[in-house]
Amino acid sequence: MSLIAQEISVMLGRKQVLAGVSFAAEAGRLTAIVGPNGSGKTTLMRALTGDLPCNGRVTLGGREIATMTPEILARRRGVLQQATALSFPFTVAEVVRIGIETRGERADALVSAALAAVDLAGFSGRLYQHLSGGEQQRVQLARVLAQVWQPLDDEGARWLMLDEPVSSLDIAHQLTVMRLAADYARRGGGVIAVMHDLNLTALLADHVVLLAAGEVLAQGSPAEVFTDTLLSRAYGCNLQVNTAPRDGVWILPQVAGLTAA
Amino acid sequence: MATLSQAMPRLAGDRSQRARRTSAVLVVLLILIAFLSLGWGASGTSLPRAISDLLAGRELAVQDRVVLLDIRLPRLLMGMLVGASLAVSGALLQGLFRNPLADPGIVGVSSGATLGAILAIVLGASLPGPLAGLFGWYQVPIAAFTGSWITTMLLYRIATRDGRTSVGTMLLAGIALGAIFSAFAGVLILRANDSQLRDLTFWGLGSLAGANWPKLATAGPVMLAALAAAPLLARGLNALALGEAAAGHVGIRVQRVKNRAILVVAAGTGAAVAVSGGIGFVGIVVPHLLRLASGPDHRWLLVNSALLGAVMLLLADMISRTLITPAELPIGIVTAMIGGPFFLWILLRNRGVLDL
Amino acid sequence: MKPLALAILLAGAAMPAAAESHPEARRVLSIGGSLTEIVYALGEEGRLVGRDTTSNWPPEANSLPDIGYMRALSPEGVLSVAPDLILAEEGAGPPEAVAVLKSAGLPYVNVAEDYDAEGVLKKVDAVAETLGVPDKGKALHDRLAADLASVAERARAVGEPKRVLFVLSLQGGRVMAGGDGTAADGIIRLAGAQNALEGVKGYKPLTDEAIVKAAPDVILMMQRGDAEADADANGGSNHAAAKETALALPALAQTPAGRDGALVIMDGLKLLGFGPRTGEAALELHDLVYGAR
Repeated sequence: MSLIAQEISVMLGRKQVLAGVSFAAEAGRLTAIVGPNGSGKTTLMRALTGDLPCNGRVTLGGREIATMTPEILARRRGVLQQATALSFPFTVAEVVRIGIETRGERADALVSAALAAVDLAGFSGRLYQHLSGGEQQRVQLARVLAQVWQPLDDEGARWLMLDEPVSSLDIAHQLTVMRLAADYARRGGGVIAVMHDLNLTALLADHVVLLAAGEVLAQGSPAEVFTDTLLSRAYGCNLQVNTAPRDGVWILPQVAGLTAA
Repeated sequence: MATLSQAMPRLAGDRSQRARRTSAVLVVLLILIAFLSLGWGASGTSLPRAISDLLAGRELAVQDRVVLLDIRLPRLLMGMLVGASLAVSGALLQGLFRNPLADPGIVGVSSGATLGAILAIVLGASLPGPLAGLFGWYQVPIAAFTGSWITTMLLYRIATRDGRTSVGTMLLAGIALGAIFSAFAGVLILRANDSQLRDLTFWGLGSLAGANWPKLATAGPVMLAALAAAPLLARGLNALALGEAAAGHVGIRVQRVKNRAILVVAAGTGAAVAVSGGIGFVGIVVPHLLRLASGPDHRWLLVNSALLGAVMLLLADMISRTLITPAELPIGIVTAMIGGPFFLWILLRNRGVLDL
Repeated sequence: MKPLALAILLAGAAMPAAAESHPEARRVLSIGGSLTEIVYALGEEGRLVGRDTTSNWPPEANSLPDIGYMRALSPEGVLSVAPDLILAEEGAGPPEAVAVLKSAGLPYVNVAEDYDAEGVLKKVDAVAETLGVPDKGKALHDRLAADLASVAERARAVGEPKRVLFVLSLQGGRVMAGGDGTAADGIIRLAGAQNALEGVKGYKPLTDEAIVKAAPDVILMMQRGDAEADADANGGSNHAAAKETALALPALAQTPAGRDGALVIMDGLKLLGFGPRTGEAALELHDLVYGAR
């Protein structure tokens, strides 16, 4: 049950934003798309969610997404975008409920469970507009989770597609959210996320796709992709990959006078 | 993670029970006001007396019959349908444009209807005999309805490219079109004589006094169809609140929702304005009040808007029939006089809720 | 048999409808300022139970219930004064409301409006006949006819008719004047003068050039409300003020009327109503235009 991108190319105006991007993301694993600003990460995500028509093919579980109706797609995958502002005074519960097809008590239970999962239990009665940016982002994640709650169903794995899911969150909540995503993958679902934070990616991703200037520079495990040469080439500055004494990897830019060594 | 099988207490933040209660209250209110409307009027015809006459097997006096069946009853039905249509159209457009200030005028319905009315009022007399006879008294409503349709379709075409409608473009094009129409209207007004100008002014102020069975028979079904179709868009509009992309992600066919919403608004508001002239504020005040009372969930908002819109217009109509009796105040004045300050008061009291 | 029946039918259709007479009607609703005036002039005001917004003369009429603007009638409002006869000027409406009133079995009499001497007399006759007071009607008719004849005589005696321009309003500095087919045009002719505005129908805003081309000798304006009382109370100062403002307008100031300061102001309903005071109004206008004798 994979998400396969084949030769994705996108022209926006006169700029070639993506050129022949191909990779495979497997269900049961957390795949991260990383790269510098302007590398085409968000455009790639839009092509994967089906929002952007593109040259090339995107298949989900063997089916081309271009042939899937919005209703069917909505059952196979949930999408979390960056910031969402609402113009009407919805409560948190009402927001999470959007996209849930079940009704009544089952829907209520689902809403509560989803909110609990993102550490917002008890927030269901609050007005969405009054929450902080980070809380709003977690409400959106709860909504997306509620949409595709079961990672596996009779048709196969379902997917979470996350576009910079932790950008506005503090570190504790960053970890909560990424652990949720990883857990979803562990239970059989597919997760693909556009990430800015290389450390978090290295910590939790199973598979990394490194984009630069609209092309795939490298893909593989974090250890394979996060090398000094590859990262420095991608980001255009001197980056050094280090290993912490305990589990984990962190990356520091090499700046004269600041490095320990 | 929490299991789903446990029985959960009612979810905080779920306002559907409150919304259902609101519906019930509104239905009762509507029935009450409908009876009041039917039973009271300047002419002193009394409903209880008429009913007792009928029950006793007596025939109603001609005047009573005319007042009840040819004046008050069509007026009551017209008021309910127009009020409901205007309120629901407002709610639909606000959901579509994701803005609580959107008003049916935005899709060009009002300016088109007004231009149609001006054309009919000023040029109608110069129509060749057979054509004039064809439309007879109903030149103005027919022209207004046609005008509103043409304008809405024009705006829709302008704003839709590659099968995708940009609501922003629609808004801006609507402003441009409105300016063009004002120019045309100005030229026609120059040609108008004194009586025509007065007629135009009164049309613009709105009135239910002209309600009769022929108008109900033609405009009624259109408004009813629009009212019936509106609640079907509820799920789509809720999702649209998240933005068009996100709405697509949860499985909504966004363009289809847009098409249908615009169609319903064009039909409902077009018919309403055609038979009752320019009545403002209902489309903005009613949905807003309901959002404050029981939330913006369109599954309840649309239905309740219809109910409250009907109630509000019937109330306004009663005021318009009472204030300067035996003359009548055009109903548009009443809705503006009440709607305006009331709306202001609501806004001031709830500044925190709506971040406009 | 058929052709005969058809002929009778056609003949019937060609004849003017016999005017209805309702001498028994005690609750008359009068719609239209001139009709209300005629009812008072006939001395039949005791039978009136209601009027419309344009019925402001005589002042007593204002105390009658007002059923609203005559072109925007509300059927139930009309019925609320419980009339047994409705007298309406041509143009009362909307047609749906009139239909409802007729369907309620109310006698509804439409009186035609023509802006000339014959038209006024016909109006008086129609109202008198409807109210069933032919004698009073004849008396009023004769009085009015005498006034009109007197004006006509004076008009004939005039050599070169003066050009009069009726200005309806000066809103925003724009001159709105009366052309062909307006009541203003009618009264100007009756008074033995010539409408300075030629080739224009209805009330229209004029460009400065059009005003200059019209070259009016006298400018005629109307005072809404109780002009005479106003003028008396302020020693005519209201008129003087109005004169100044109007003639100060550059376009008007350059006309012969502007140069001579020839501005005439008369009460609106009296001037344009085409009712019982029309003879009087025409005489007054004639005297003001040509100088009293």
